[in-house]
Amino acid sequence: MVRVDGQPLELSYEEVDEHGQVSALCAGRSYALSLEGSPDRVSVTLAGLHYEIGLEDERERAAHAAERGGGKGGGIVNAIMPGIVVELLVQQGQTVERGQPLLILSAMKMQNEIAAPQGGVVERIHVAAGQAVSAGAKLVTLAVGVAAGP
Amino acid sequence: MFQRILIANRGEIALRVIRSAREMGIECVAVYSEFDAHALHTRMAHVAVPLGGKLPSQNYLVPEKIIAAAKATGAQAVHPGYGFLSENARFARAVREAGLVWIGPPAEAIEAMGDKLKSRQRMQAAGVPIVPGLTDPVADARAAGAAAQKIGYPIAIKAAAGGGGKGIRIVRDAAGLESGFRTASGEALSSFGDGRLYLEHYLDRPRHIEVQLLFDTHGQGVHYGVRECSIQRRHQKLLEESPSVVIDEATRDAMGEVALKAGRAVGYQNAGTVEFLWSNGKFYFLEMNTRLQVEHPVTEMVTGTDLVREQIRIAAGEPLGYAQQDVRWKGWAIEVRLNAEDFFHNFVPSTGTIRNLRLPGGPFVRLDLGLYEGMQVGLDYDPLLAKLIVWGADRAQAIARMRRALQELNIGGVRTSAPAALAVLEHERFQKGDFDTHFLEQLDLGKQHSEHDALVAAAAAIWRQRQATRQALAPRSGEREAWTERHRRALAQHTDRAARREGPAR
Repeated sequence: MVRVDGQPLELSYEEVDEHGQVSALCAGRSYALSLEGSPDRVSVTLAGLHYEIGLEDERERAAHAAERGGGKGGGIVNAIMPGIVVELLVQQGQTVERGQPLLILSAMKMQNEIAAPQGGVVERIHVAAGQAVSAGAKLVTLAVGVAAGP
Repeated sequence: MFQRILIANRGEIALRVIRSAREMGIECVAVYSEFDAHALHTRMAHVAVPLGGKLPSQNYLVPEKIIAAAKATGAQAVHPGYGFLSENARFARAVREAGLVWIGPPAEAIEAMGDKLKSRQRMQAAGVPIVPGLTDPVADARAAGAAAQKIGYPIAIKAAAGGGGKGIRIVRDAAGLESGFRTASGEALSSFGDGRLYLEHYLDRPRHIEVQLLFDTHGQGVHYGVRECSIQRRHQKLLEESPSVVIDEATRDAMGEVALKAGRAVGYQNAGTVEFLWSNGKFYFLEMNTRLQVEHPVTEMVTGTDLVREQIRIAAGEPLGYAQQDVRWKGWAIEVRLNAEDFFHNFVPSTGTIRNLRLPGGPFVRLDLGLYEGMQVGLDYDPLLAKLIVWGADRAQAIARMRRALQELNIGGVRTSAPAALAVLEHERFQKGDFDTHFLEQLDLGKQHSEHDALVAAAAAIWRQRQATRQALAPRSGEREAWTERHRRALAQHTDRAARREGPAR
């Protein structure tokens, strides 16, 4: 028995193997799930559809809330994919607008402009042109909420 | 017939060729990079030769190494697969000059079809309809403006040396021509080292329809009907089918005849594909692919022909042994490309280690794959992991079967294109056959599933807890401290505690 959004959900959960194949029975129906991932981010595939589940327990939730409340976070632009930094389009200290391209990241056949998720001042650039980066790597830190230049 | 051939490729296509060759009693030589020492093609060949190096430029793209491997192992012929050196005329010639047989078209035909403008000129001269526009490069923006006026807007500005969607600009009216010309020229120069541009009329709601051809070395040629490849994005195909809802039998035969004419005009031999754009009931030559194509299995499924076997027979000098009227079509086939890419994030490449595989089966389901448990998926090679192909008595049955097979499938460790393909198959417009080459780009992949959100979130929470328990049982140094307390408790209680969905389900 688990509660989801306050509603009880009766669920039988059996791990088929150690790799992430799971058999679930719920309300008289059978589901073959595939699960994998890290403690805070679990990928589930059910009937060909893919679900990304973000998980946090009470303690983690409190910690995340404190982080957000402190005005930090949200200012770091991460690589959404592994690739190579082709060109930097901004400099440290530069004021950028939301949507303005910060750099070009190349992966396989594609060159992708990585844009600023919000306006701000470029506080730090973590990468250099020609550098290979992995998915999730820090690219640029934006100081947000800072008054734009003159 | 050959006793031994070398396959100058990797991944699913190398395995595909090995399988046909084995059935023919031919021994196979695989070549492999450092990265591919455990790959399926390396394991399933009779002989495997290491080429060294991790990057394709150090192995699969080095003609000298491949030819040396063929000589050293006594292979008599080379099958290039697709990609890599398959459309490299210099390699085809080098293979021939080394006294080996090239399982593909003559180098001269590869060259004739390799240049966009030259092939347009050749096709026009042969009476093959080409997309209206120029067959010579334009000198500058002013000349382009004058030509565009004559051809009629909208206009596609294309790089003469182009490919893969690079160096193409669509211009709707005269005002946009100059800037379009400038950016296309820059992109063509940086991508291909050749800034030459030409103009084509940009067709309205185009569909990508292609014709499979086989020519033997005795002057006999047949077409194998059409494939519809309009479900694509940035010129990368996701889903192909054969035949096509817009092509009736008479049109199929007419396109087949035109395609054969195109092939004959360049002295074609072996397997090749003529690509057409189809718009408002008319079809126009786009280009010819002088190799076996990724999507060849859908043709195999509806015609009952092993195209790789035919390629090898033709290369060995055997006559086709049948004529056009002997080619028969039955039912409908669909292929889905399973690429390592993340459709949640605009199809960016996805990397990781393959695990948690669950492969589909059942009636009329075919899986051509190159992946295996533990395979590292990086950025150095093509993202195509596998191809899922189904056959049905009609299109509706094929769609239902593909949906079923995709629902059975799981590839863990990376994101794949499977959910995107499923979204296409479930779309009303796709099911009706009402789509063009822009369909996938316009498809909203953001909104999906809600029915099982609660179940999935609960399962994820339980999974996390079980993982934590398992890790607590086998503690290792460097484990996250934050876990410890929670895990000890879970372990002590030894029960399935209530797991609550805390985070947002996405």
